[in-house]
Amino acid sequence: MTDITAKAVSTRRAVSLSEGWFAWALIAPAMLFIGVIVAWPLAETVRLSFTDARLGGENWVGFKNYQDLWASARFFDTIGRTFFWMALSVSLKLVFGLIGATLLNAAVPGRGLFRVLVMPPWVIPVAIGCIGWLWLYNGYFGLLSGVAQRVGLTDGPYEFLAYRTSAFYSAIVTDVWVGTPMVTLFFLAAMQGVSRELYEAAWVDGANRWYRFRRITIPQIMPVIVSMALLSAIWTFNSFEIIWILTEGGPRGATTTLIVDTYKVAISSQRFGEGAARAVVIVMLLAVFSLIYLFFLNKVNKIYGVK
Amino acid sequence: MATLDLTSISKSFGNAAVLHDISLAIRDKEFVVFVGPSGCGKSTLLRIIAGLEAATSGQIVIEGRDVSREHPVERGIAMVFQSYALYPHLTVYENIAFPLRVQKLAEAEVRQKVGRAAEILQLTDKLQLKPGQLSGGQRQRVAIGRSIVRNPKVFLFDEPLSNLDAALRGDMRVELSQLHRSLNATMVYVTHDQIEAMTMADRIVVLNAGRVEQFGTPMELYHHPATKFVASFIGQPNMNLVPATVREATGEGVTVELAGGHVMSVPVEGHAAMKGAKVEVGIRPENVTLAEGAGLDITVNVLERLGGVSITYGTIAGGTRFCATLPGDAAVAEGRNIALAVDPRDCHVFDASGKVLRRRQAPALVA
Repeated sequence: MTDITAKAVSTRRAVSLSEGWFAWALIAPAMLFIGVIVAWPLAETVRLSFTDARLGGENWVGFKNYQDLWASARFFDTIGRTFFWMALSVSLKLVFGLIGATLLNAAVPGRGLFRVLVMPPWVIPVAIGCIGWLWLYNGYFGLLSGVAQRVGLTDGPYEFLAYRTSAFYSAIVTDVWVGTPMVTLFFLAAMQGVSRELYEAAWVDGANRWYRFRRITIPQIMPVIVSMALLSAIWTFNSFEIIWILTEGGPRGATTTLIVDTYKVAISSQRFGEGAARAVVIVMLLAVFSLIYLFFLNKVNKIYGVK
Repeated sequence: MATLDLTSISKSFGNAAVLHDISLAIRDKEFVVFVGPSGCGKSTLLRIIAGLEAATSGQIVIEGRDVSREHPVERGIAMVFQSYALYPHLTVYENIAFPLRVQKLAEAEVRQKVGRAAEILQLTDKLQLKPGQLSGGQRQRVAIGRSIVRNPKVFLFDEPLSNLDAALRGDMRVELSQLHRSLNATMVYVTHDQIEAMTMADRIVVLNAGRVEQFGTPMELYHHPATKFVASFIGQPNMNLVPATVREATGEGVTVELAGGHVMSVPVEGHAAMKGAKVEVGIRPENVTLAEGAGLDITVNVLERLGGVSITYGTIAGGTRFCATLPGDAAVAEGRNIALAVDPRDCHVFDASGKVLRRRQAPALVA
């Protein structure tokens, strides 16, 4: 009796073991892929951040790179600037995206054409768009400066990218220009998913356009707004090429965000160890930021009835 | 006195005309059902009354006032949508309160009105829930609650039960009828389901291809259908339409020979000129019995025994389909020939254009 039971158990174990191996075999390619593409570079970056790696070689330096960062007022300036850059740019993208989507969602003739026309900033390569903006911002032959002189706003040529404040806001304008179309299309798609009967019911109840927008459209697309805000925030935080092409982080660091700073240290100055430490800080900041954000996303989804 | 008068309402979408010259006079406190097959224009007509669509021509008068160009709110109507159109992010309370919030009423007044509506609809303990947490029937009631708080002159319902399962539909029919009695309001209800129409309506408007086929009480429509379309639309199973030839016709009655050779004299108002004309004789499945001797011969193809009744599908010689509702234990079997007795007084005769010849001995019209 006990023999039979023991045999049955062992057979069952053998089956479950082989099933386990099969399952592992199935996910192995994906694991390998993630390991090579994500995990290993991440681990290597963390390791590098504890060294003084340069082209010539590397020595283990412990937490020195992090201690230097902690002691550096400039680094904290950069963090503050990055968050300000992100907050301002994302807010503008969301506001313009919402306005754009609302206009594109309106039943006007030629709506399809307008929907296509909103896409170029997003569709053309970022580098090409940025070079276009470089010309616009140029003080001597740029369109903006030229118009400003003609209408008497400025006395002479104004080089937008040559001054700290104007360079920063000019970079924001370009970043918003590149990032808005996608936000717009996401919002438009969400708005089209809102049932027409909700609007009709509200219309029959006497709700005007603004009231319907405020109490139906916004709540109905709120989960999309929140998700889009998170994605857009991460992209903007890590946005590199726009700043690099326009200003290379200048003038005098005015447009240097964390990602630009990391590039300058790790690649331009070839101080890989210090650069890696900065990269690790970015990962941690974004992770904390995302966690807080996902917590709120969860709350928002509950409020707006998304399961 | 919330009367609703439609005068010569027409509607076209581009070149496609969907409503043709519709005129109806709906009385105060009446429950009127628009019924018809899909695409007949019934929902469009309701949306025109609501103000969601503009009529191409014609006039809408509510309580003696022309509201054709007015906003839904000024018309004094409230509408319940097929999908209920509840706001998923708002609680039941806020959903019902929505029209009052639009009007910017004081909180105390909102609370009182929502409370009363919730009481009528037995939603008092559900007020803090979201629509997603409610059953189909409860959602339906919330949608009705939102229309009640408006205190409208006319309630409009657009196929409100079509998203519910069959059992719940039956319950909600009863609830809606009770609601109509307790609110004492004029209601216009759109459905494609003739059972909903028959059970709830004071009067029914049968629409076909954008025209009113007939406007009358359920019993009028059943006993005195004006056209072949109404006759076959009202009643379950559908009325049988048997091709026939007129042998003799007077003001007293019409003698017809049915396909298959059965001859009978139907007491409807005919005239001598009809002799030899092709007509169709309408016989309701529930108006036939098994004949003792000779009768209308049919071959049984399919038999559905439902317990109480046996629905018998067959063909008359010549191939015309014929359906009969016989007693549950009727001695019939698939493949057998049976003879059916038909009382000519129960029959309808339709001329070639589909118009009915007036019945002389049918039940009196129910007012």
